[in-house]
Amino acid sequence: MRRLTISMKRNTIFQAAAIVAAGIILALVANAFASRDRKVSLAGTYPNALKVPAREVPVAPAPAPPPITQTVMTTTQPATITVPPTATTATKVTQPTATAAIETVGLNPKAKTPAAPAPTTAPAPPPATREFAVHPDKPYVEIAFNDAKTLHDRNVLFLDARRTSVYEQGHIPGARTYSVWESDIDDNVQKLFAERSDTSAQALPIVIYCSGGDCEDSHMLAQKLWGIQFNNVYVYKDGFPDWQQHGAPVHTGANP
Amino acid sequence: MKRYLTHPWLTIRVQLALGAIFVIAAIPKIADPPSFAHMIYNYRLVPASLINISALVMPWVELLAGLALILGVWKVAARNIAGILLAIFIIAISINLARDNAIDCGCFNVADRGKTHEQRIFDMKVDVVRDLGMLLMVAQLWWARKNEEREA
Repeated sequence: MRRLTISMKRNTIFQAAAIVAAGIILALVANAFASRDRKVSLAGTYPNALKVPAREVPVAPAPAPPPITQTVMTTTQPATITVPPTATTATKVTQPTATAAIETVGLNPKAKTPAAPAPTTAPAPPPATREFAVHPDKPYVEIAFNDAKTLHDRNVLFLDARRTSVYEQGHIPGARTYSVWESDIDDNVQKLFAERSDTSAQALPIVIYCSGGDCEDSHMLAQKLWGIQFNNVYVYKDGFPDWQQHGAPVHTGANP
Repeated sequence: MKRYLTHPWLTIRVQLALGAIFVIAAIPKIADPPSFAHMIYNYRLVPASLINISALVMPWVELLAGLALILGVWKVAARNIAGILLAIFIIAISINLARDNAIDCGCFNVADRGKTHEQRIFDMKVDVVRDLGMLLMVAQLWWARKNEEREA
């Protein structure tokens, strides 16, 4: 009887192992034949995979226009991208660990000083805040709608970090699809590096956006770009929903 | 009471229901591995290098275990796998509840539904209760099997 029980247990372990092994094989085969936007690379590179994000508490609307805050975050794990050997400037580039502050750029340049008095009259639509200079010490600078619109009007490159299927339903005109969750993200980043291999091209602004709210995909993509020396990347923090809310133009379909 | 709880009439229905739940849960994840990988990432418990491979393999194991339960093939092994998976899900959601990291469970749907923090926390509590219920189904299968072996 005891021998029978041991035999049954062994049999169960073998069967469970067979189910798991079959699952692994089916998963790998399915992934090999999956379409581009349904495929994942077997080993992803996701900074902060084990780091719990700080909760953003929504601020209650104040009677007077609130001062624009400068939030400070720290990043600990820069993304690394292996650059193809054809690139002339570098073979493998890893930026130093980021301890620099990530600046959140406001709409009103005066408000960047925390002690600035709140305006008493209704403000006119704010102008472009600044000249969008390179910032090699931090992977990205967060911007709001007006800055994003200004950069869009200047034909700056926009990258959409959302899933391709969502991108096709509507995106910022001219934006390219760069989903961090799809298998071709590193290839796309390397192509961008090949397009902009010289230092002056890498200093051109790039705006990345995703779905706003707690979406981190644009920040992840910004870190990847920073990892290969793109040092003028902006994250449009409120993302595509905010763009739509402002009534800005939207393009649908697979093309930019 | 024990007779009713281990009765074959109940056992077969629990087995079919559990199998069906696992199959239904697996399909959206198999259909969209990148979204499921994103869900796993949101748990902040899996190392970066294991996120994608987990997103690929776990749903297939879920599907096969569910099918085995429905078909009555290798049902003890399938039941054990179901139990282990449920325990993993319960622990993972509970850890995130404890650290106030509001996430979408990704159990039956891998699309981001844009919920608020409070909605997500509430849903996570519901998910834990639901998974505990499913773990009770596994326990019923285990108990019925034990009873069957004793009577044989």
